[in-house]
Amino acid sequence: MADEVVLYTLSTCPWCRKTKQWFADNQVPFELVEVDQLHGDEQDAAAEKAYQLSGGRRYPVVAINGEVVSGYNPGRYLELLKKSGG
Amino acid sequence: MTMADATRKDALRYLFEKVVGPLGYKFTPDEELADFLLEQEVKLEQDHGAPFCPCQGRSGVRAEDMQIVCPCIPFHREHFDKMKRCWCGLFVHTDVTDPDSLPQLPPDEA
Repeated sequence: MADEVVLYTLSTCPWCRKTKQWFADNQVPFELVEVDQLHGDEQDAAAEKAYQLSGGRRYPVVAINGEVVSGYNPGRYLELLKKSGG
Repeated sequence: MTMADATRKDALRYLFEKVVGPLGYKFTPDEELADFLLEQEVKLEQDHGAPFCPCQGRSGVRAEDMQIVCPCIPFHREHFDKMKRCWCGLFVHTDVTDPDSLPQLPPDEA
């Protein structure tokens, strides 16, 4: 079964860019939610979701099969992907 | 980037240097990263009224949002001291020479 990966990012954040690049380089498909590029209610909802998941407002927020990683942390991403057999 | 933006970027750099030095921090030696982050802060200041951290989201609650105006080190000192850099990486501890070796630790692991 494919991993469910969602990245919550800000377009202004270089670590968010690195995170997207890491998943792309490792050929792990992901859903991207670029929070600051959304508008109005959509942006509020995405920011709130990222906050609920991570408990903070620091980006990137990475959700891998329901587990959440706050920040650019390739070691942890790999661990969670391996855990699911990905 | 306009001439005015470049001037503002230089002004922020000058101002920040004065503030972070006494806190034991300096600009990251990664010039490209520093340049990019300062550009984002100029943009954020134009759009939202203050040079907010480019890697943190605003809550809409003024008291909270003021804690992520750059340089936000005094408000997150304990966490940043453990990472030896601030969250976005614009500033690192004065003894850091290789910022790429520093992890971005989530608050619960710091």
